[in-house]
Amino acid sequence: MDLQRDTEHTLLADSAERMLSENYDFSARHGSPADQGDDAAWADDMWRQFAELGWLALPFAEEDGGLGAGMVEISILTEAFGRNMVVEPYITTVVLCGGLVAAIGTPEQRAETLPAIGEGALRIAFMGGAAGDISVDAAPSGDGYVLSGARKSVIDAPMAGRLLVPARIGEGIGVFMIDCDATGVTLRPHRTLDGGRAADVELTGVNVGRAQMLGGLEDASDAIEAAIDRTIAALSADAVGAMAKLVEETVEYTKTREQFGKPISKFQVLAHRLVDMKVSEEEARAVTTLAVLSADAPASKRRRAVSSAKSKVGRCARFVGQNAIQTHGAIGTTADLTIGSYAKRLMVYEASYGSTARHAELYAAIIADPDTAGAGLLLSPAA
Amino acid sequence: MDLNLAPEDVAFAEEVRTFIDANLPDATRRAMTLTTAFLNEPELGYEWHKLLHKKGWSVPSWPDEWGGPGWTPVQKYIFDLESARAGAPVYNGQGSRMVGPVLMHFGTDEQKNKYLPSICSGEDHWCQGYSEPGSGSDLASLKTKAVADGDDYIINGQKIWTSFAHKSNCMFALVRTSTEGKRQEGITFILLDMDLPGITIRPIIGNGGDHEFNEVFFDDVRVPQSGRVGEENKGWDVAKYLLEFERGGALVAGRVRAQFAKVVRLIRDRGLIDDAHIRIRMAEIGADLDTMEMVDIRVLSDLQSGANPGAISSMLKMRWSSIRQEVSELALDAAGEDILKWEPERPLYDALQLPPDEEELLGIAPRYLNFRAYTILGGTNEIQAEILGKRVLGL
Ligand SMILES: Cc1cc2nc3c(=O)[nH]c(=O)nc-3n(C[C@H](O)[C@H](O)[C@H](O)COP(=O)(O)OP(=O)(O)OC[C@H]3O[C@@H](n4cnc5c(N)ncnc54)[C@H](O)[C@@H]3O)c2cc1C
Repeated sequence: MDLQRDTEHTLLADSAERMLSENYDFSARHGSPADQGDDAAWADDMWRQFAELGWLALPFAEEDGGLGAGMVEISILTEAFGRNMVVEPYITTVVLCGGLVAAIGTPEQRAETLPAIGEGALRIAFMGGAAGDISVDAAPSGDGYVLSGARKSVIDAPMAGRLLVPARIGEGIGVFMIDCDATGVTLRPHRTLDGGRAADVELTGVNVGRAQMLGGLEDASDAIEAAIDRTIAALSADAVGAMAKLVEETVEYTKTREQFGKPISKFQVLAHRLVDMKVSEEEARAVTTLAVLSADAPASKRRRAVSSAKSKVGRCARFVGQNAIQTHGAIGTTADLTIGSYAKRLMVYEASYGSTARHAELYAAIIADPDTAGAGLLLSPAA
Repeated sequence: MDLNLAPEDVAFAEEVRTFIDANLPDATRRAMTLTTAFLNEPELGYEWHKLLHKKGWSVPSWPDEWGGPGWTPVQKYIFDLESARAGAPVYNGQGSRMVGPVLMHFGTDEQKNKYLPSICSGEDHWCQGYSEPGSGSDLASLKTKAVADGDDYIINGQKIWTSFAHKSNCMFALVRTSTEGKRQEGITFILLDMDLPGITIRPIIGNGGDHEFNEVFFDDVRVPQSGRVGEENKGWDVAKYLLEFERGGALVAGRVRAQFAKVVRLIRDRGLIDDAHIRIRMAEIGADLDTMEMVDIRVLSDLQSGANPGAISSMLKMRWSSIRQEVSELALDAAGEDILKWEPERPLYDALQLPPDEEELLGIAPRYLNFRAYTILGGTNEIQAEILGKRVLGL
């Protein structure tokens, strides 16, 4: 048992925070709502820097051209992304899609994909949502399959060269890797609530060969679920970063804004609300650590930790987002302050890969067994 | 970073569990299940404490010099966790977790030799005389007066909410020895025997039906000055030091876990597992529990590596007390109209002779009522918020 960051962790956290707070211009990256720009080009320069820093190769094995880091390192990075409102497609490309290829790809698929991701030459979006939420069918055809289906708001798709498509094959779910410009693929790009990019994607009779099916598996459900759980752990750390920033900015604001002849932080009802926000942030951080440290555990343990975290972080996120706005007064409701953007980022967190309510339900099903409910995190009676 | 215990700690947990399984009587487990007060009766704890004492485990956080087992922070945590989860009673935390550490730090050799061994063995039972009718959260306003007279103090005044004063033979108290200067600088920390002439104890019955706390009146009570801990008028520093030992995370975590598992079973048994309200509350409270356990473990990891956990104890107090209440509230909701039947006698385990599921139902409403105290005692949650606001947010 050890929850201390080691020197390398601290170095990574510090360098990520320094690089992003110095170089990452939030308003330039998010653009004005009217600016529809070239989505792919828009991501390139920052992405190259991420590659140079080794961030894009962080979790991959050395034989796949990676640095062999784990979820702890990923979460340190994504927490910094949350603090600085990074909208680059890191989590989808590296954690989710890269992670899935690393987990079940054939040696050829890994060799062809992972080094390219690590070098910044390839970005991949995921045409699926929460585990089990599948919107594409794969019909056998000759040596391969034909994919058809549609999905709204495929996050990061406009910035990606490829899509990973989870698709129903009979009872199973296979994962196919296709090019975004393959015949039969239509992308309708749009902006997302938090300043990112997504596309409504339609697949009409897209022909794929068996070589495009990850690991040659006709049922990769377990691996998909695991990859999504890792994604949720990384996103939760991102949400913690956003919450930390919201709490800091709100505390700062109450110390400078004066009404009735004194800083509003001196009103006890606000002081206690700020404390509750800080406590929520710390709670979110604690349960995110649980998800991060359980991301590679056996499925039962991992599922419990991740749905516990997603449901709890979601509640904390909503509380912090709402109260950051309330505590700022009218200015808090405008698009002029970054707190509004952080609140939006937290709304996206809540809606992604299974809502707060959905994960509360998944978690309820797990702890409906009293033995599981009674098992502590450090030691369970059965351990 | 990881959540895995070292092999020797896993073995230690196994040893603790085996000991408890082999030695904790079923009657005691039942009594703990039917305990409705926020602390179990001292008599129940004393029997268990004696067994632990024989094993050398009665004062887990003490150094071996004074009869402690010399455990690491992780071992202490495991011991508390396993004890609480198994439903082992507690005994006299006011002695072993409060006044004991204070004596080790501030006490004279004479005081240490006089008091520590009988805290370790459990022969002495201590109570805490801080609160007064006019002094609760604002403790420094306390008025109970001690006037020096030869080798003694003569004490007059009143304490209130004194838990188990009626079952204690010793008290540590804060008394006023000066009204000059800052209020905090006129307070003295004193140890006294409860059988001294002039002390009167009056019970206060809680809304949950239990007799736990009391009023304690002092009427010209002559207390030897040799019972003073630290210097005269420096008692506030002693009291502040003591506060650091009120944390006790693992005991809470283990107990709340066990109670939560029981409520989940109750929910299932009563066919409420698909009730939308109950189910969502169950999930929320479960996730809250996971969360706070992680905060506990982080504090433990800090202690283990020599880092300072910082001002986190106020957060632990705030959240754990609320979660305990939420668990008791979930039980209340699950029990429905079965809470209507009220058994006035206490302790319930002596009053009842019913099948287990029926008698457990009778504890739910009293426990819900008594547990309202968690967010009040030991510094209310509003006061904890004041502390966090100042120390953590600089408000
Ligand atoms: C079960 C139980 C056992 C106890 N055992 C002991 C014991 O053994 N020994 C002992 O000495 N004491 C004991 N206490 C007393 C306990 O320490 C006090 O109840 C506590 O300190 C609060 O004081 P009070 O009850 O007078 O409430 P008050 O201080 O009168 O508070 C009333 C309300 O006002 C709020 N409030 C007060 N000040 C502020 C502020 N500055 N800002 C915002 N809100 C504020 C409080 O949070 C609370 O909600 C026990 C209490 C309980 C419930």
